[in-house]
Amino acid sequence: MGRYLVRRLNLFIATTIALITVLFITTGHFPVERPYALSGIAAPTSTQLQNITDNYQLNGNQLQQFIAYAQTRLGGDLGLSVTSQRPVIEELTQALPASFELAIVAGLIAVLLGVPLGVLASLSKNKVTQHSIMAITLTGYSIPVFWLGLTLSLWFGVELGWLPVSGRINLLYEIPPVTGFMLIDTLLWDSVYRVSAFKDAVFHIILPSITLAVLPFTVVVRITRSAMLTIMEQPYIKAAEARGLHTGTIVLRHALPNALIPVLKNMGLMLGTFASYAMIVEVIFSRQGVGSWLVSGIYQRDYTVIQGGVLGVAMIIIFFSILIEVLHTAYNPLSRKEIYAAN
Amino acid sequence: MKLLLKRIKLITGISAINLLLTACGPQQVPTGLVYCSEGNPETFNPQLVTSGTTIDATSQQLYDSLVDYDPRTGDIVPALATSWQTSDDGLSYRFKLRPGVQFHQTDWFTPTRKFNADDVIFSFNRIINSANPYHDISKTGYPFFQSIGFKQQVDSIEKVSDDEVVFHLSQTDASFLANLATGFSVILSKEYADSLLIQGKPEQLDRMPIGTGPFKLVNYVKNEFIRYHRNDNFWRTLPEFEQLVFNITPQSSARLTKLITGDCSVSALPKAGELPVIKLHPNLELDTQLGFNVAFWAFNTQKKPFDDVRVRQALAYAVDKQNILRAVYQETAIKATGMLPPQSWAYHYNKSSYQYNPEESRALLADAGVKDLSIDIWAMPVARIYNPNALKTAELIQADLANIGVKVNIVTFDWSVFNQKLNNNDYDSVLIGWNADNSDPDNFFSPIMSCASLDSSSNRSQWCNAEMDNILAQAKATTSEPARKILYQQAEALFNEHVPMMTFAHATQLTFKSKNVKQTQLTPFGGISFENAKTIAPEGDL
Repeated sequence: MGRYLVRRLNLFIATTIALITVLFITTGHFPVERPYALSGIAAPTSTQLQNITDNYQLNGNQLQQFIAYAQTRLGGDLGLSVTSQRPVIEELTQALPASFELAIVAGLIAVLLGVPLGVLASLSKNKVTQHSIMAITLTGYSIPVFWLGLTLSLWFGVELGWLPVSGRINLLYEIPPVTGFMLIDTLLWDSVYRVSAFKDAVFHIILPSITLAVLPFTVVVRITRSAMLTIMEQPYIKAAEARGLHTGTIVLRHALPNALIPVLKNMGLMLGTFASYAMIVEVIFSRQGVGSWLVSGIYQRDYTVIQGGVLGVAMIIIFFSILIEVLHTAYNPLSRKEIYAAN
Repeated sequence: MKLLLKRIKLITGISAINLLLTACGPQQVPTGLVYCSEGNPETFNPQLVTSGTTIDATSQQLYDSLVDYDPRTGDIVPALATSWQTSDDGLSYRFKLRPGVQFHQTDWFTPTRKFNADDVIFSFNRIINSANPYHDISKTGYPFFQSIGFKQQVDSIEKVSDDEVVFHLSQTDASFLANLATGFSVILSKEYADSLLIQGKPEQLDRMPIGTGPFKLVNYVKNEFIRYHRNDNFWRTLPEFEQLVFNITPQSSARLTKLITGDCSVSALPKAGELPVIKLHPNLELDTQLGFNVAFWAFNTQKKPFDDVRVRQALAYAVDKQNILRAVYQETAIKATGMLPPQSWAYHYNKSSYQYNPEESRALLADAGVKDLSIDIWAMPVARIYNPNALKTAELIQADLANIGVKVNIVTFDWSVFNQKLNNNDYDSVLIGWNADNSDPDNFFSPIMSCASLDSSSNRSQWCNAEMDNILAQAKATTSEPARKILYQQAEALFNEHVPMMTFAHATQLTFKSKNVKQTQLTPFGGISFENAKTIAPEGDL
């Protein structure tokens, strides 16, 4: 296992280096002065310019420049945002919790609804139930997220007026940011409006999280179902049935844990798509978050924000993919056989 | 197996009921007003910019000026100055200052003294005196003041006593008081500025503002919101709301959605195409205010072939203005026949302005010897009061010019980038406009087409004409209104002859708002005030 972890760590480092190389090369092609693209300072004074030149080794050769670039970026210095003149890392860390909040809620919805439905679909002997569940998931899988988001907000927000369609909370609630997670911060808020504020935050997250949950939900249902179908045919399940165990016990204790292993693996594979969907959802529902921050940075030609945002988001995705893979291996003894063989 | 299925159904049922239960129940919301604004302010000090978005977020909410406009009559009324006298030669203005006015108390500053003459002197010295330590803190300069030649106009500002100041002018200027009443001439706290200087962070003055206005800034999150609290020491009637929030929403359709779903109660700059939507929602209404503005298509007169007046005239003849009014403004605007809007006292209907005439246009182009002309039109990416949709306007012009054989390439960037690139002055022509800062007719000329304004980035046609400068200087030095009217009509005629830009519309200022919000005040010079806003109890349940 130790050797395996080292290999995964190497993978993480290698991917990060590749990522930084790509960023380094594209930064060189931004249609602005290099010190400006790197630091975000539009009209640097001579001392500032000297600092930038030193930091990024601008007088050195390409390799030195690359090493200096990698060092600064990995050291957490992402430059100043061109438009706001605040450190990019500060804006990034401020935007991250909101995105995590949305992703976690959407992920929970997907798993908590998807797994039971997948199990249900696999156990049901009724063709109509089976087919309708499959039809629904296939539809959900093929609906473009931007269309779904707009339709939901048009219907539930504008037509029916049931749910808010933008932002994270009614702005009149002045929630002091503690964790950055609105659902938690409202509960920590010391005010008579605490409960109302919490409800308001919940209302605000319903539509975006449902929109975002649709894709992982359908994947979870389909994978759970097919895994359950295979597992329920396994001899050990037959043996358990023969011993007269209760169906509930068989499903929950013996079949489901094994069926969840491919679900976990697929969630890792889905992470990239999920993150890009999250960005679209953030923009559609004008929620604060990394996605909307990065998109507005792109619109405003905020070169430092683009670099910092891409670096941050990509590293988070790489990290979580590898983490899920490690968990998958730790949890699934079978895949350990592969450890010393491939990859 | 059946049992399991049953259980699952039961569990889903229970959780669904739970969800419904928590969803019901009354919502308590703190009192306050949310305004959906169109963009991020560049700074919190209106002295440094001319952008309407910044003025909206600062002038009326955070600051006061020495004098104010009455939004209904356009007269100049007392504000931080209680009274004023002009000397007989018109060269000095003596202001008596209001006693007992408090500056904002915020997390970052606690005032120890009341507003006095030092604050007035500091606020204007910062602009006119390059030795002032704050003068160079502004990277953008003082565009409004530069465009009106304020520095040349004001000789010195003298403190008579703590509550009296005198402005000594070097030349008479009929628009002086009007300029002091604009949203740019705000009064800052000298005490705050001094303490920042000691702490070594003077640039904070423009980012974390201290003023005397009805609201004080609490925090600002870029692309998200600006939050203000009521200034409880405000010297006029206290605003009804404890909180004012600007919900920053660049997309016009998103602003409308937020208004419909109740995320905001007032929403800025609706597109003309959205007006019919308001009729479907009985709790919403439209606020209108005839605007002191003009939308124009400015030609870069420093660049070939636009330095030839015949080319400019040809282009002005080629555009069907009526079509633009119909398609872009949905008939909410008035057709422009010159620079001045009809509400201005110096306005005179100008029959000879360029009527749609492609024949004339072709003849003029042939006369100028220009063939196969291909031009760039820069179109603003955002809605402004004077032009809600510059891209569409550009497309209409493109179609019209295709008729006379001129090719058009439409160029656009994001707003801040657009502004920056525009200041490099290498465009062919740009669709932009002007929103007046005060009711004085001079404001439509000096900042846009005087030679002095060449440096201030508001002279979009890069046009400098000695005769025009002469007329404008005369008009400024004259105090009699009828005499000035004649001079401004001369200026209009000269402008019409040279067409450095083609004006096409005076737009009506529009905002959407919820019916239970009353008395938000649109000012004809742009900007919105929430000082007197009231809510009335909504009918029925929320």
